[in-house]
Amino acid sequence: MIAFAWKIALRELRGGLAGFRVFLACLILGVGGIAAVGSVTSAISEGMAAEGQTILGGDVELRFAYRPANEDELAWMNAQGDVSRIVSMRSMLSKGEERALAEVKGVDDAYPLYGEVAMSGGASLNDALAPVNDVPGLLVEPVLAARLGLEPGHEVRLGAGTFIYRGTIEAEPDRASAGFAMGPRVMTTVEGLDRAGMLTTGVIYRTGYRIRVPEGTDVAAMKTAFDAAFPEAGARWRDRANAAPGIARFVQRFGAFLILVGIAALAVGGVGIASAVQGYLTRKLPAIAALRTLGATGATVFLAYAMQIALIAGLGIIAGVALGAGLVALFGPLLSASLPVPADFTIHAEPLIKAAVFGAAAAALFTAWPLSWLRRVRPAELLRRETTGQVRWPGWPTVAVLVALAALFAVLVIFWSPAPWLVAICLGGIIGAVVVLRCLGWVTAWAVRRASTSGVAARLPTLRMALSAVGASGAGTPSTVVALGLGLGVLTAIGQIDANMQRMLNDQLPEGSPAFFFVDIQNEQLDPFRDKIASIDGTGDLGSAPMLRGILTHLDGVPAKEAEIDPAAAWVLRGDRGVSYATAPPAGSVLTEGTWWEAGYDGPPLVSFAEEEGRELGLAVGETITINILGRPITAEVANFRSVEWRSMGINFIMILSPNALAGAPHTHIATLHADEAAEGEILRTIGREMPNVTPVRVRDQITRVSDGLGKLGAATRWGALAVLLTGLAVLIGTAAAGEDRRRAEAAILKVLGASRGQILVNFALRSALSGLIAGLIALLWGGLAAWAVMTFVFDTTFTLEPLSAIAIVLGGTAATLIIGLFFARGPLGIHPAKVLRMAAG
Amino acid sequence: MAEPLVKLEDVGLTLPSQAGDVEILKNISLDIGAGEQIAIVGPSGSGKSSLLMLLGGLEPATNGAISVLGQDLRNADEDTLARLRRGRMGVIFQSFQLIPTMTALENVLVPLEITGAPDAKAAATRALEEVELGHRIDHYPAQMSGGEQQRVALARALAPGPVLLLADEPTGNLDGETGAHVTDLIFRLAEQHGTTLVLVTHSEALATRCARQIRLSDGRIAA
Repeated sequence: MIAFAWKIALRELRGGLAGFRVFLACLILGVGGIAAVGSVTSAISEGMAAEGQTILGGDVELRFAYRPANEDELAWMNAQGDVSRIVSMRSMLSKGEERALAEVKGVDDAYPLYGEVAMSGGASLNDALAPVNDVPGLLVEPVLAARLGLEPGHEVRLGAGTFIYRGTIEAEPDRASAGFAMGPRVMTTVEGLDRAGMLTTGVIYRTGYRIRVPEGTDVAAMKTAFDAAFPEAGARWRDRANAAPGIARFVQRFGAFLILVGIAALAVGGVGIASAVQGYLTRKLPAIAALRTLGATGATVFLAYAMQIALIAGLGIIAGVALGAGLVALFGPLLSASLPVPADFTIHAEPLIKAAVFGAAAAALFTAWPLSWLRRVRPAELLRRETTGQVRWPGWPTVAVLVALAALFAVLVIFWSPAPWLVAICLGGIIGAVVVLRCLGWVTAWAVRRASTSGVAARLPTLRMALSAVGASGAGTPSTVVALGLGLGVLTAIGQIDANMQRMLNDQLPEGSPAFFFVDIQNEQLDPFRDKIASIDGTGDLGSAPMLRGILTHLDGVPAKEAEIDPAAAWVLRGDRGVSYATAPPAGSVLTEGTWWEAGYDGPPLVSFAEEEGRELGLAVGETITINILGRPITAEVANFRSVEWRSMGINFIMILSPNALAGAPHTHIATLHADEAAEGEILRTIGREMPNVTPVRVRDQITRVSDGLGKLGAATRWGALAVLLTGLAVLIGTAAAGEDRRRAEAAILKVLGASRGQILVNFALRSALSGLIAGLIALLWGGLAAWAVMTFVFDTTFTLEPLSAIAIVLGGTAATLIIGLFFARGPLGIHPAKVLRMAAG
Repeated sequence: MAEPLVKLEDVGLTLPSQAGDVEILKNISLDIGAGEQIAIVGPSGSGKSSLLMLLGGLEPATNGAISVLGQDLRNADEDTLARLRRGRMGVIFQSFQLIPTMTALENVLVPLEITGAPDAKAAATRALEEVELGHRIDHYPAQMSGGEQQRVALARALAPGPVLLLADEPTGNLDGETGAHVTDLIFRLAEQHGTTLVLVTHSEALATRCARQIRLSDGRIAA
């Protein structure tokens, strides 16, 4: 039977692939997209794994929150291998009256242990930074040099110290491990920073010790030994296998999301795949009828056609994989230049194999239903042409196979993802969206059908005819809604989220947000600082609070790393957090449980914890936390929970301790200032001149940085959504092409009945525009709902429908179907009725 | 003498084919007066349907002059021909040619709406009732038998009250009994509406129901 089916399959395929263009386009686009995204993700992951030492700057890094390692810790590190020390902080770099916020990095002679710093002029790093006449050298990123108009030899000020600008940093090997940057990089020596008074106790800075260990060293055992020797060190450990965890996590999650977008494209393409197979089988009815009459069983015929589809699908999958790999090979070098991490843009087999498997699973899933009727159809039905190959109920066994296939597909997608939960939720969303879109398509077709019989429609015959055609069964409206609605809906959601985020960021500035944050205000500077600010016109409320940084090490006696917590609060335990002390709750906070300590409280340390994060960490009032501040563990009892409105951008902290808990701990102050935009320049100049150690952070600049970041994410997601839309358009084109014969016949009949070409054109255009309008409106509905849910539940803010993006989506959907419809209307409009009618008569 | 409704003078039709041009009709001259009932008969391939297409302005003649309902069809463009048919000419085909995405009522509504007839829905419903399909107005073509579909086509052709009804093998796809029923309806309604009828058929029995027969053989009028 198999040999016979194979022969039939090959003979039938001699007819060519004409009916499979949409089938192939959908499969190639979906598989190609998944292969490309998977390849880029692999390239970055592999690149980061291969260059872990360089990215980290050592085999191991121990990072201390605003203190250097003590002698014992330093001795331990020196015993392990070569050690290099760096410090990092934020400060203002100024030249004359011009100043800019910078990410400052102080390095020692051993830096970098791995990789090389490239500079303008090609000098060596040590030479460039070496002090001349006791003034240390300094390098900056080109963007900062341009902004301040720096030329080598210029004298600049960093904090309270003077430095000589020596050139620009062209490449910094360990840049990716530095995390979120609020400004461009400035590099000088640790010693220079120390001499400028920037490493005094209380100032917010981090010290990192990079260790180069001998080959073969067991890094994991080394960590265990460090934890055992210094259990209260409060140091953050990173090693070469996890050099830039933030970037790695982002790449994995964003990659997983984009692969889902590819799978969404396959899901949309599935509509085209299924209708292409259905159309093919309809054309093959005479052959199928002949085979069955000659004695071929239903199973044999099924096998013969399943083999044909499998061969064509195989071709599409190979082409898709080649497209994905080719795109990455072509654009990889370009992409590589704009990535913050090294990437290995060679061919990676794993993502290509996965893309091929996804493609095969999708092809099987979407062709099984239309193929299944071949096993059940009776020869007499075929001979009488009672059946047209239309999709119909395939029977429970086939449905069971389909459900199993779909489940296997879902398990593969989830199992192969680095972020299974995210993928499972998104996959559920995609499946839900396709089902809901299909249902909405049916409901809308029904509603349009009803509308075609309304009094209004009766008075507008052209509209009635179009409504009737769009609402008719077999008109393909539900398919159009799915094909176009998914991609347009994703674009709607992104457009609305983007617009709302921008509105949220921009609108908050004039209302409740401060214009500046100031950090590193020394205790004795606080009052003069207030006076200086008050003397500047256009300044408003000034708030301040003591500021220390600490690492949360224990939750009610359980080491933080072992505690069972809600993953949403994992960030609280990651690295050091700002800590303050206060005699009263900060403005705008509301105690939700427990009580605040009395003024002059002198008992065991107490802490007020932000309610949402506290509960996510599994804490309760009365339990304890241990926080490591300056190497000293402080255990405090949770006295209360308080609600914190982070978006207000006022000063607030996850943890506020009772003042006695931090008595004597050296610290600085943080301040927020409301001010008119016109006063911002004067504030920067005055504080820069009078208190150079105080670092002002302009909120407006940071919002621009966040906006830019969001914009880039939005752009990447938009490209993904466009891939879904492209597949949707391919499906629409396929559907329009498949319906051309029907439109020819219809145009011929309408001409016989006296309709002019103009009337027929308006009729066809109106129905195309109507179906696109419906798809656009449905996309707007579900995309808007998705955006509302994201803004309400994820960003905890209000949602406003942004009209421009919404109108663009609806018009876009209408225009797409209209253009495709008009393109395929040319043939039917120009045809002589007699030709069509003669063909129809046989 | 009144001007004939249809006048053909030395008309010929040549169509291209893969094997070269084929001369379908040759030197056809014919007058059809208002209210006449004419059968066009002849063997398969004699050019009957092609002649009907020429009369309906559905196919341009290769040579000769055709005038239908006072309009010279020579050099008339597609839209002029469509306007000629609009409301004044009904056509029925062997294969029904209903629009599959429209119900029976909507199919009948189309020519009325194209002509801008007032109260089109009532007129379409009446037309369907005349062909005994008042109970199936909301059914799609695929939900109806061949006889019912042809009756919808008849209602559609007659609903705007045409002057000329062209019928191309209207019973060719129907069984004897159904065909007879449809034929009875065509003749009864044509007479009732005073419509000129041109009927293409293989059936001699059906042809004899028309007052005049035109026999075609090898593309020429034989008698």
